[in-house]
Amino acid sequence: MDFDWMKIPYAFLTVFIVVNYGFLMGALIQKIGARAGRRYGIPIWQYYLDVIKNYGLRSSITHGVMFYLGPVFRLSGGVGLLLFMPVIYGSYMFSNFSFAGDLILALYFVFFGTLGMALGAGESGHPHAAIGVTRGLQQVSMAELPFAMAVFSVALQYQTLSITEIVAAQQGGMMNWTLFTNPIAVVAAMLAFLGSMMRPPFDVFIAPQEIPIGPPTEYHSSYLALMQTNRAIFPVAKIVIYMNLFFGGASSWPVLFLKVFLLYLFSAFVGVCFPRFRVEQSVRFFLVWGVPLGILSIMLV
Amino acid sequence: MNALYILAVGLGAAFLLGLLSERQRELAYMLTLGALTMMSAISGSWLIVFVATGAGPIDAFTAGTPPPFAINLRMGLSEATLTLLINLTGLFAAIHMGEALLEKGRRAMAVLLIAIMALCGIVLTRDLFNLFVFLELIVIASGGLVLLSADQRAVAAGFKYLIVSQFISILLLLGIIFGYHASGTLNIDGMAEWVGAGSKPEGATAFALAFCLIFIALVAELKPFPANGWALDLYESAHPGFAAIFSAASGSAALFALDKILAIGGPDWYPLATGIGIVSFVVANLLALPQIHDRRLLGYSSIAQIGLILVAIGQQDILGEHYRFIAGGLLLSHAVAKAGLFWLSGMVAGRALTDWAALRDKPLLVLAFVTFVAMLAGLPPFPGFYAKWELVHALANEGRLALLGWILFGALLEAGYLFRWFGYAIKRTATQTLENTATQRIPVLVALLAGWGLGFVWGELSGRSNLLLVLPILFAFSFLLLEWAPAWLKNLLAIGGLVGWFLLTWTDYDPLRLIFVTIFTLGGAIIFLASFHAHGRRIGFYPSALLMFAGLVLLVRATDSFGFFAAWELLTIGSYFLILRGKESEPHALSYIVFSLGGAFLILAGFAIAAASVVPLAPSGAVSPAPTFQIAQLAALNEPIAPWVFLLLAIGFMTKTAAIGLHIWLPGAHAEAETDVSPMVSGVLLKAGLYGLFVLLMTMGRQTLYGVDLVNMLLWIGALTALLGNLMAIFQEDAKRLLAYSSIGQMGYALFGLALMNHLGWLMALMFVINHYVYKSMLFLSVGGVAKRTGTRAMYQMGGLITLMPLSFIATLIGIIAMSGVPPLSGFGGRWIFYNAIMDAETRLPMVLIFLSGPIAFLYLFRLIHTIFLGQLKDEHRRIKEAPFSIVLPQMLYVATLIGVALFPGLILRRADAYITQFFPEGGLNWDGLTITSQYGWWNPVVIMIVVACIFLLIFGWLLFVNRKAQKVKQFNIVFSAERPYRPETTHFAWNFFAPYKKAMGFLVQPFVTRFWGAVADLLHAAGDLGRRLYNGNGQIYAFHFLVFVVVVFAFKAGM
Repeated sequence: MDFDWMKIPYAFLTVFIVVNYGFLMGALIQKIGARAGRRYGIPIWQYYLDVIKNYGLRSSITHGVMFYLGPVFRLSGGVGLLLFMPVIYGSYMFSNFSFAGDLILALYFVFFGTLGMALGAGESGHPHAAIGVTRGLQQVSMAELPFAMAVFSVALQYQTLSITEIVAAQQGGMMNWTLFTNPIAVVAAMLAFLGSMMRPPFDVFIAPQEIPIGPPTEYHSSYLALMQTNRAIFPVAKIVIYMNLFFGGASSWPVLFLKVFLLYLFSAFVGVCFPRFRVEQSVRFFLVWGVPLGILSIMLV
Repeated sequence: MNALYILAVGLGAAFLLGLLSERQRELAYMLTLGALTMMSAISGSWLIVFVATGAGPIDAFTAGTPPPFAINLRMGLSEATLTLLINLTGLFAAIHMGEALLEKGRRAMAVLLIAIMALCGIVLTRDLFNLFVFLELIVIASGGLVLLSADQRAVAAGFKYLIVSQFISILLLLGIIFGYHASGTLNIDGMAEWVGAGSKPEGATAFALAFCLIFIALVAELKPFPANGWALDLYESAHPGFAAIFSAASGSAALFALDKILAIGGPDWYPLATGIGIVSFVVANLLALPQIHDRRLLGYSSIAQIGLILVAIGQQDILGEHYRFIAGGLLLSHAVAKAGLFWLSGMVAGRALTDWAALRDKPLLVLAFVTFVAMLAGLPPFPGFYAKWELVHALANEGRLALLGWILFGALLEAGYLFRWFGYAIKRTATQTLENTATQRIPVLVALLAGWGLGFVWGELSGRSNLLLVLPILFAFSFLLLEWAPAWLKNLLAIGGLVGWFLLTWTDYDPLRLIFVTIFTLGGAIIFLASFHAHGRRIGFYPSALLMFAGLVLLVRATDSFGFFAAWELLTIGSYFLILRGKESEPHALSYIVFSLGGAFLILAGFAIAAASVVPLAPSGAVSPAPTFQIAQLAALNEPIAPWVFLLLAIGFMTKTAAIGLHIWLPGAHAEAETDVSPMVSGVLLKAGLYGLFVLLMTMGRQTLYGVDLVNMLLWIGALTALLGNLMAIFQEDAKRLLAYSSIGQMGYALFGLALMNHLGWLMALMFVINHYVYKSMLFLSVGGVAKRTGTRAMYQMGGLITLMPLSFIATLIGIIAMSGVPPLSGFGGRWIFYNAIMDAETRLPMVLIFLSGPIAFLYLFRLIHTIFLGQLKDEHRRIKEAPFSIVLPQMLYVATLIGVALFPGLILRRADAYITQFFPEGGLNWDGLTITSQYGWWNPVVIMIVVACIFLLIFGWLLFVNRKAQKVKQFNIVFSAERPYRPETTHFAWNFFAPYKKAMGFLVQPFVTRFWGAVADLLHAAGDLGRRLYNGNGQIYAFHFLVFVVVVFAFKAGM
């Protein structure tokens, strides 16, 4: 696979589809969450309104260069992650820049946005931002562990680090999905998934009650708009990894929409059922429940 | 000139002194010095003759007839050397004691002359009774010389000495009488002949008893444990000038006497001598540990050193032709160093070890001190080093491993207290002044020159390349002569030397070694750029630093075990001095040198055991050249030796890479070092350990011990080190400590990669070698620059420095991105190779630890950059400037390097990848085009960089457009509960940054290892303290000790 100028418009198209889907799905999930709490919830187009409003705000300040660049890092991270993966299996059009690297690139690129955002929030000088970042980092360091092991397990299982090849190996019926061929790895990974979706019980780093929204505290107007755009892209991109690794991937956009929605819904379900963990509680949770499963998945594959 | 004249001159001058009037003290003193000079000249001329002609020993007959009718004195190479040593010690002791001698007058001088003359007599005579006479003379003379001291306790000590000496004399005399009765001769050679002739059953038993008495008497002269309390008291209270004679000259003479009479007893007595020697060596060193009195410490050290030489004497049956080289090397090292140290102690007013801080401002005296310490510790390039190498190899060759182990253990103890003492001298504040007159300086400086001269001679005698003539070492030592020059000039020379060495030799290396040598030379040169910030002369820095670099480059060049080990010791010593330069680094430097020497001794033992198997000596040890083997021959080792050698070498190398359990020296050593030293010892020096591990695994491969796969153990150790190093790093408040712990973790990764034992594992380790050098050097420099400006290393006291120190911030930012492995920078390459490498690994569980340590690294990296550069700027820092240009410049070079490596890793790794193929043909990478492909995946650094840059710039452009009217606001303009923050200190979130993690994972970072090593150190000190109480100063108790010693030795011999 090599570069081809047509990849650029295709990439834009991918981003465009995912942004819109992300906006709508995010709002829908939030609405479902609200209904679970016996509230009415937001309108489905609320995210569009928010973004437009934020771009429209006239007051705009900056705390410095890193603060300014934070959201840029964040959104670049989300877009990059999406574009470094073959989003639709078998589609040249939506394979984007996956020729740049394999699964490992995607896994590590996740941190690009996180790091930039953390630095930007840090420069704002707001203690809540720093507290939020440290909480997030601490939690994710342990939450990622079962996932890393599951990925290793899957890579060993299929003897490849290529996302496309992993998806290819799962074709030919649901029973070929990793979910059924390597269930322990999937369970471990799905626990990790909960830890990375910014929903209860693992959302203490942005908890509105404790540290008024944490890292983005100082962000407003167009900065916030960029971050909201990322909130639409990033979870989808992340779920696409899960979908590709464990749930057979998607060979068309509708399948992708469905699978991503269901996976997202899973975290939302758990989120509405469980109260928030403190950081050390989540760390212990993943250590006690996630890690042994991960180890088991490595040993058994 | 006849050897008799040595005695005649001494005796004659002593009588002449009696003829002078009491008031002609100056004349008497000149006469004394003249006589000693004359005696030295005679010995010296003989030495020259023997060295030049290679002639055998020559006998001089006192009455013109051969023995047994007259006494014969023998002058040979050994005798000439020893009498020269004794006479020179006497001469310079006389110079050192000038004031005391002039005060006491001609009698004291006569006594000194008699003592020196008698010591020479002991060396020269071949007659037992004559030996006894000389010993008696020494006893009397020593009794007199003790009184030269101003210390009141000297009288009591002298008295105890006289009592013990009488015991010894009685035993000796009885032995001589019985021996004469049995053999009919008093001549040593005659007796030996008589014993050799054999078949005299009636006389044999009596003679055995006689010899036993003689043996015990002469051994007791060596002050063996425990019959040595009197000697310790003497060392402690006597005039240091005399103590030097007592330690250097008397000790040497007594050793030689024992060596002579062992010719009579023969090999049956060697084990006993060895036993007494090793017990004295180890116990005396142990008891020296808790000493705080300098001269008493030197006393213990003297006893230990003489014990070690006694071991060599006891092992002469296996040392073969190297015997004189080994025993002589140890003896001369001991004598010169101990005399020098006693004379130095005469200059220091206080008697506590810490009082030696008075030396601190006198570079030449510091050099002398450290030379003597290094000589005693057996470090290169001094004779003790060569001797230790030979001795250890001979022991290993004979399978005397327990003895070998005890020797190395004792040597480590000795190095421990000596270097602790040196640390006091360098780092403590002087409370006493230094008596620095010419007469006191000259003997010390002569000993200093003698030490280096002997180092040269032993290098020449060693039959290998003389360490003092090896270009990099010569280059490093030549900076000792340049200490007058300004630092910038020396810095230029240093950089020139490193770059020059690279240009001179870079074609000689294979790709793997080339990577190491590039880091050691060019990498070192870049760090030296930062050293331009230092002003003044920076005394001591350049010789130390270049000694370390010399060791490093020689390590890579070394093909044989000796060269490798010598280089290893050199880089250890050089780096120790470097680390010791830090303001608060005294305890950390000590811990570093103790661990490093411990590791080095394991390597030595490993090499020796391997040599015994690879190039076995003939049973007599008569094979020349000495036991060195090509490193590559390690591959030829077989079971059951191979795994043990592997284990020893691996642990030795892992002390340098600070693998978990052996890591406690690192954080303090790296954190407390100076700004430009931290990157040297972290970025550069740690690679020496990795290089050693590379070499080890390249040659020996997998080894199994009792069914345990040792490489697998390394894998676990590496993984555990990576995890715990990182975990400890996140809880540090001190920025440099954080980086230091992070180094432990990074070395764990590299060790892990090596121990994977597959193609990509090694490539990953190499990638870590390069990356760790670049980003750790860069981070240490940038944090060092910040610490320099803010005056603190505590991160919570910093904050908000991004606008004031933007370049340091950029360096840190790039550094942490690279280190965390986030694309698009070079760290990602390391991670990518890691994932590909573990796909091929045979063991999977250790990966879990590595998976966890990756994200944890993220925690400390964020902490580093956030708490220093982001958050709230403190009031006291509002006016600080960017770090000095010289510190920023290398950082910017590193930024460029990191981006270069990130884009084109193939430039460096491609050739190494091909090179590794010879070890692991499978699993290499494909470097065609810009995409790097493995059998599992691919990675295209250039495309990643371009894609990321395009996305980033596009979004950035968009933000600039929509956000063009953004206003920069002031520091406290934040949404803060509808208030304005009061102070930056209360708003900057930095202290105890990862408190929840401590709650959840703190159990993993309890200081178990520190406690363990602390307990070991405490135990040794407590044992030493307990043992030291044996010597309570009571003469009766000392007599009892002597009795116990005699009984035990006798019982031991009877039971043998």
